[in-house]
Order: sequence, then structure tokens, then C-alpha cells
Amino acid sequence: MISQSVVLAGGAAEFPPSVEDFKLPALVEGTYPWLTKYTLLVWVAVAAIIIFFLVTYRNPQLVPTKRQWMAESIYGFARDGIAKDMIGHEGIRFAPYLATLFCFILLTNFMGIIPGIQTSPNSHIAFPAVLAVISYVLFIYVGIRKHGFGKFMKNSLIPPAPWFVLPLLILIEFFSNFIVRPVTLALRLFANMFAGHMILLVFTLGGFALLNADSLFVKPVSLLSWAMAIALTFLEAIVALLQAYVFVVLTASYVQGALADEH
Amino acid sequence: MVRRVMADDQPPQRTDGPGDPPSGASQGWTALSYLISGIVVWGFIGWLVDRWLDTGGIAIGIGTVVGAAGGVYLIARRLGT
Repeated sequence: MISQSVVLAGGAAEFPPSVEDFKLPALVEGTYPWLTKYTLLVWVAVAAIIIFFLVTYRNPQLVPTKRQWMAESIYGFARDGIAKDMIGHEGIRFAPYLATLFCFILLTNFMGIIPGIQTSPNSHIAFPAVLAVISYVLFIYVGIRKHGFGKFMKNSLIPPAPWFVLPLLILIEFFSNFIVRPVTLALRLFANMFAGHMILLVFTLGGFALLNADSLFVKPVSLLSWAMAIALTFLEAIVALLQAYVFVVLTASYVQGALADEH
Repeated sequence: MVRRVMADDQPPQRTDGPGDPPSGASQGWTALSYLISGIVVWGFIGWLVDRWLDTGGIAIGIGTVVGAAGGVYLIARRLGT
């Protein structure tokens, strides 16, 4: 503990934490930013999800085994709880995408609190941004495919209102539907994971900073700081689950809006 | 094989389709999005008008209030029953 605190106090991770703490070095020299802990974690998450569903669905039984039951619960939650609930019967064909999205975000979020990993790729804006772009393209694509470009744009831009307020409203609709949606989708996930990681850093590194303080009375306070770090880790577990759910529910909601006939 | 188990289509049980307004949390986000969009879009236009005519900030005020009103109107029309 003492040697570790010396290492930490020696400049490896300084208090207070900053944005620089999120810039992890390349795993192999010269591969930055293509091969860092974050990209590695993304591939690990992808592999873990593929392997999980392949293994659990290898020999599907009528009476599910325990592993099969787990996988079916997750998929069933995405299918019935999100896709069917939000989009209606038509939404079942989006269930594979929504389930995959949910699993991927959940797993990458949880990496932020798994001991030994403790960083989430989603605390870098690039990863949530790409996920948001996928959902953005998806709901525009299904809308245009169902209604055609003109009718889709009419549905999403022109509200039922008298003609003289339309110029006022169309701009708001455009900004809300085509700019705010993808930006907030990415930003919400990123900011939650970033802030969560930052809070854990503050309390963990703050504990070491207190331990290294000169005053003997201040040193014990570091225990309180670490206790807070542990408590907040449990809070982060809730945030990780909630943000994965919110992302998927909003994606489903946008798809629902794109498929809706008339407003 | 995997797909057949996972994406089993069942006969329709719910009568509500994609025509209904979205429920719960997403409705809240939609409302928030309209309100902020209204204020930002027309506030920005107001800011441009202010730069152009040099109204001393009055155009921004008008823009944000009009935008907020538009946002509230949109929430009522899109989400109200």
C-alpha cells in the first residue's frame, strides 16, 4: 500500500485528475491511437458477446438450460421489453439490432467498474458517437424506405399546425429531429461514463493525496475517501445499466417515430 | 439456426402499432428536445438579427421567447392527445 502510494504520488497519476488521464498510451509503440486499451476493450467486448450468444444457443432446448435461460432473458428483454413495447409488432425485426446494441453498451459501460479494467471505451466521445451515427442512419433509412423520401421528410418536419406558424416550427423540428437527436444520444452516454470515471478517480487518487498529506490528522480521512470510491462504484453500476437502457430505448423511439404513419 | 430460435415471430398480440405516440422516458426526452431546440434555433436567429441590426440584445430575447413558445406548441401538438 505504501509503495503503491509512493508510486502514485511520484507522478504516475497526479491529483487532481484531468482529461489527460483519459489519454492512455498505445499498447504497441507507434500504433497510437489505433491500438490502445480502449480499442482492445472494444474488441474484447465484441468477442465476448459473440462467444456468449454462440455458446448459450449452441444446443437450444425446449426447457432451457441455465445459460440458455440467461441469453434468452437478455434477448427477450430487448425484444419484448423494448422493441415490441416501443415500436409495436413491426419492431420485432429490429430486436436483433437493439439487443446487440444493449449488450455492447452494457458490457463496455461495465468495464468502467470491473476491477483491473476500470476504464470504459464509452468515456471517449468517439465510441458513443459511432453508435449514435449507426442509430441515426438506421432510423432515417427505415423511415425513407417505408414512406419514401418526400413523405418521410413531411412526416418528420411538418407538424399539424396552421400555415403561418409552420416556418417557426419546421426549423425547430429539423433541429430537434436531425441534429439534437444524434448529438444528445452520443453526448448523454459519453458524459455519463466520463463523469463516472472522473468521480472514481477523484476519490481514489484523493485518498492517496490525503494519505501523503503532512498532517497526521488528515491521513485517516483517506479511508473515508476510498469508502466513497467503493460506494460510488456501485452507483456507477446503476448508471451503466441505465445508460445502456436509455440509449436503446431512444433508438427504438426514433425508429418508431420514423415508421409512424401520421402525426 | 441461431437466428431461428432468436427471431421467432409470433402472431400479433398488441393492437397498438407505430402510429401511437412513444411512451414514458422517450416522451420526456422528446419534449425536452423540442423545448431546447426551439430556444437554441430561434435564439441563434435572434442573435444573427441582433448582430445585423445592432438591437442591443432585444432580438435575442425575442428569438428565445418565440422559440420557446414554438417548442411548447410543438410538444402540445406532437405529444398531446
